[in-house]
Amino acid sequence: MLKLIELIKKDLTVDWRQQNPVSGILLYLASTIFTSYMAFKGLITIEVWNALFWIIILFTAITAISRSFVQEERRSIYYFFLAKPHILIIAKLIYSLAYLLVLAILALFLFAIFFGNPVNDYPLFSLNLILGCIGLSSAFTMISAISFKSNNRSIMMAILGFPVIIPVLILAISNSAKILNQTIWSQIQGNMLTMISVDVIIIALTFILFPFTWRS
Amino acid sequence: MAYLLKKNWWKWLCIALLVYTIIGGLLFPVPRLPILNETIRVLHFHVPMWFGMILVFTGSVIYGIKYLRSDNALFDVYSSQLANIGIAFGVLGILTGMVWANYTWGEPWSNDPKQNASAVSLLIYLAYFVLRNSIKDEQQRNRVSAVYNIFAYSLMIPLLFILPRMSDSLHPGNGGNPAFNVYDLDSNLRMVFYPAVIGWTLLGYWIASINIRLSLTQENLENAS
Repeated sequence: MLKLIELIKKDLTVDWRQQNPVSGILLYLASTIFTSYMAFKGLITIEVWNALFWIIILFTAITAISRSFVQEERRSIYYFFLAKPHILIIAKLIYSLAYLLVLAILALFLFAIFFGNPVNDYPLFSLNLILGCIGLSSAFTMISAISFKSNNRSIMMAILGFPVIIPVLILAISNSAKILNQTIWSQIQGNMLTMISVDVIIIALTFILFPFTWRS
Repeated sequence: MAYLLKKNWWKWLCIALLVYTIIGGLLFPVPRLPILNETIRVLHFHVPMWFGMILVFTGSVIYGIKYLRSDNALFDVYSSQLANIGIAFGVLGILTGMVWANYTWGEPWSNDPKQNASAVSLLIYLAYFVLRNSIKDEQQRNRVSAVYNIFAYSLMIPLLFILPRMSDSLHPGNGGNPAFNVYDLDSNLRMVFYPAVIGWTLLGYWIASINIRLSLTQENLENAS
């Protein structure tokens, strides 16, 4: 437990000290949103808003989280002695979820400025956003651990990640479209439960499979 | 797989079933349905491709798990060669399906959930082979690709259940296609269809077993020289 907190704290300190990647990803988020604002001028309906929002979250997540193991390259040897892989992956999962949630909130804020804010039902919308972010961040953390071992990481990250993330993404997009169109809870209950179970599957698989990619 | 590599009887069974499928599929009486007409005979050559693909991928994942438990390189050969055949089945399934859809639904690709799910599963396993080629160290390659195989397959299965709920399917069984549902009850079709599934799946395992022998022999030759 103590090690878990230490590892999360370490990730935070690393990101805080070398501010280059963090400011890079913030700029990435801002410029993709601004580019799509220029491209989609006048075409924005609620459905387009929703799809655009999730696509930008998807690309931000894949760019932000692909770093999570690459930056450990030179340090990885120390971890073998310091922590068990199970603790390491839990720390990584928590950190990347927190990171992605902060980015998602920023994205929502920027979207509200440029495209207007169609969100009425904040509790339901944020529940769906959190569930989607759990799925995205944990799946991409696992994919990042896999592609860490390969030669061309950035391409591998995309081609391995996209087919795997489709179940989470289509559930999140269709749920949030319904929420933005003022749907009541009972109509999306089934989809929400499916999404929770997909998240649970992803996290459980990551937990079981990560140690195999780690020891080498 | 080890059993299948040693024994031969199932190959004779496979030949018999496929000969029966081709003769029966082309000549036996079929129900006369609107729109479908004679094209319903594709059923015996298209649908078994999907059954075969899923069964072969399942075999591949089982050997992936066995590899992770034992670190035995033999299991990795089994797993990757089965995945190879699964891709071949998937491509054939998509092609036969597109030809059939062109005549019955009017267009080769109509954003049908089952079509999309099959495209996704092909993407997953094509990515699996790109991943294998991009890692040099052999042991690491085997382990990482087994991990991806298990991870992606276990997410593909929920996808097969989620996608149909998102939109209506033109495929029989969901979305309300009364004309198609009739063949579920037709005993003439069933008499050929189930043997066809077994026959095509066995053919897949047969091709895989030849590929496995080939790659094991190549490995031995490399080690010997």
